[in-house]
Amino acid sequence: MEQKRHMGLKTLNRVSNTAIYILLIIISVVWLIPFVFILLQSFRVESTYQVGYVIPHEWGWQNYLNLWNSDFKRWYLNTFIIALASAVLITIIQLCMSYTLSRFRFKMRAGLMRFMLILGMFPGMLTMIILYRVLSDLGLTQANAVPGLILVGVASSGMGYYVSKGFFDTIPKSLDEAARVDGATRFQVLYKIILPLSKPIVIYTILTAFMGPWGDYVFARYVAFGTSAGYNVAVGMYSWLTNDQIARMYTTFCAGGVIVALPVTILFLCLQKYYVEGVTGGAVKG
Amino acid sequence: MASVKLTKVKKIYDNKVVAVHDFDLEIKDKEFVVFVGPSGCGKSTTLRMIAGLEEISEGTVEINGEVVNDLQPKDRGIAMVFQNYALYPHMTVYDNIAFSLRLKKVPEDVVYEKVTNAAKVLGITEYLMRKPRALSGGQRQRVAIGRAMVRDSNVFLMDEPLSNLDAKLRNQMRAEIILLREKLDTTFIYVTHDQTEAMTLGDRIVIMKDGYIMQVGTPTEVFEMPQNLFVAEFIGAPKMNIIKTELLQEGGEYYVTPFGAKFQVNDIKGEMLKKKAVKPGEILLGVRPEHISLAKPGEEGIDCKLVVNEMMGSELHLHVETEDGSSLIVRIPTVDLEDEERASLVAGCQLRIKFGGKVMHFFDPESEENLLTDKA
Repeated sequence: MEQKRHMGLKTLNRVSNTAIYILLIIISVVWLIPFVFILLQSFRVESTYQVGYVIPHEWGWQNYLNLWNSDFKRWYLNTFIIALASAVLITIIQLCMSYTLSRFRFKMRAGLMRFMLILGMFPGMLTMIILYRVLSDLGLTQANAVPGLILVGVASSGMGYYVSKGFFDTIPKSLDEAARVDGATRFQVLYKIILPLSKPIVIYTILTAFMGPWGDYVFARYVAFGTSAGYNVAVGMYSWLTNDQIARMYTTFCAGGVIVALPVTILFLCLQKYYVEGVTGGAVKG
Repeated sequence: MASVKLTKVKKIYDNKVVAVHDFDLEIKDKEFVVFVGPSGCGKSTTLRMIAGLEEISEGTVEINGEVVNDLQPKDRGIAMVFQNYALYPHMTVYDNIAFSLRLKKVPEDVVYEKVTNAAKVLGITEYLMRKPRALSGGQRQRVAIGRAMVRDSNVFLMDEPLSNLDAKLRNQMRAEIILLREKLDTTFIYVTHDQTEAMTLGDRIVIMKDGYIMQVGTPTEVFEMPQNLFVAEFIGAPKMNIIKTELLQEGGEYYVTPFGAKFQVNDIKGEMLKKKAVKPGEILLGVRPEHISLAKPGEEGIDCKLVVNEMMGSELHLHVETEDGSSLIVRIPTVDLEDEERASLVAGCQLRIKFGGKVMHFFDPESEENLLTDKA
């Protein structure tokens, strides 16, 4: 009787697991279809316009060569510079801000946090016109859009403190105190103790800070405003999708899409393990 | 080596709560001083002010004659062991202990020597390459002590270092701290809420309550001559019995009359009462449970009923109730009892208890101060 019930449970488990796996496989296939589609189109060389089939009849690198010979290189470099500079600066500012709000006690601290939280609820788009005016007065639009976009991205980055502050709050304060008694300065406490313990959140901050400008379209288009030298990839490639260009550039566009997705994919593959690393084990009594 | 002097030290938090009031204390070089008191009494706050982790609102803290109020913790020549160990979890035991030395840019061979020496003293050599999470509570605490040891500091501060350990390990570590103290031969300030730790470790004990010092004294002093009712009840386990009673003076001798019985105060205490010119009248009489014994038939004593008999191994803790419903605790060593006598001690049985005049403590019912001590 007992054995029968045991067998029954085992079968039930197997059935439900199989069902779950089938569902997950279907979801991942659906999820992957657009990516596979773009990848295949980027290798299609028999025509450059949209077609009604998926597998190319003729394969080749022509579309990637076209990219190399177009303004794409410039756009790609622009995007890379913006994203990299933003990622570095935003990460530094945001982590310092979070550390300050987590560890220092000063007047109006709670008020400041609430104020920034409320301010952050307004969509950034609202500030577009005035930001454009400011950038324009500073000479940071059109051909100089790259430093302009870095400035815009970095300027308000401290307001994104709450995720990392929440993480820092979970690290016992006695670690800071022990380090200070041991002779560490506040800054050494941050980079020798807090940051190594916060790898997942540091990586998260870098990734989000990098991804924002990497995929930016609206603001980048607005600031570069018709000057190809100031375009990022999204704005530049979108210019290939106009009525008179699309037939000529569609497959090149797909190749561009693949190249744009590459660094982000690599970044994620390399860094994903940090998300799951539990590093605070053994810090305090446990 | 260093002396520590606190003068009128006060801690007022932002919300105007005063955690420590006018704390005055002079700690001599190489002295082991224990701050003890219930939670919220300000003992940890005082320690943290000495360490420099808490701002001093008023007053001065001097280490070796130098006012350190505005010095960073690292510049005060102190080392500290925290309650939750505060080991850096991403570093190995070796790196944890070496951390402060490396910050000081000490050459790596000297670091190696110091770390391995400390590890040898603490018996953690085989764990040097492990991360803290792979250690037991006791081992972690040893690492924390090792980290403090290598700093060669003048003052060793310990904030409830044993309270996260289980009872058995706590006893063992307590003995190790006594040995460590002999080896290090430096000034120790130790915070605990456990009066046993305070009594066994301290050269002097500072008993605190609500931010005030209740008494400073050697373990013997605070045990035998508690300054006030709070100290009397806090030091000693189980706590002292307090009985509201009458102090009588007949023919030049003092007597107390708890629960209708009449006990004479012995000569020494009687002389002290005379010297202090204590007037007869209502007092609070304190008697420790271990100083009460079972009266023999016909002896003067207090009749009471046994409510609970706790067998502690080497002794019995008898919770008794007097005729007017007051509760008292009596501690009887089991070796003093005959088997029959022991078997008769069951809940509900009638007992007669007594105590000698030497072990009585007399407190003022209003101020709760000890009538035999000078005011602090």
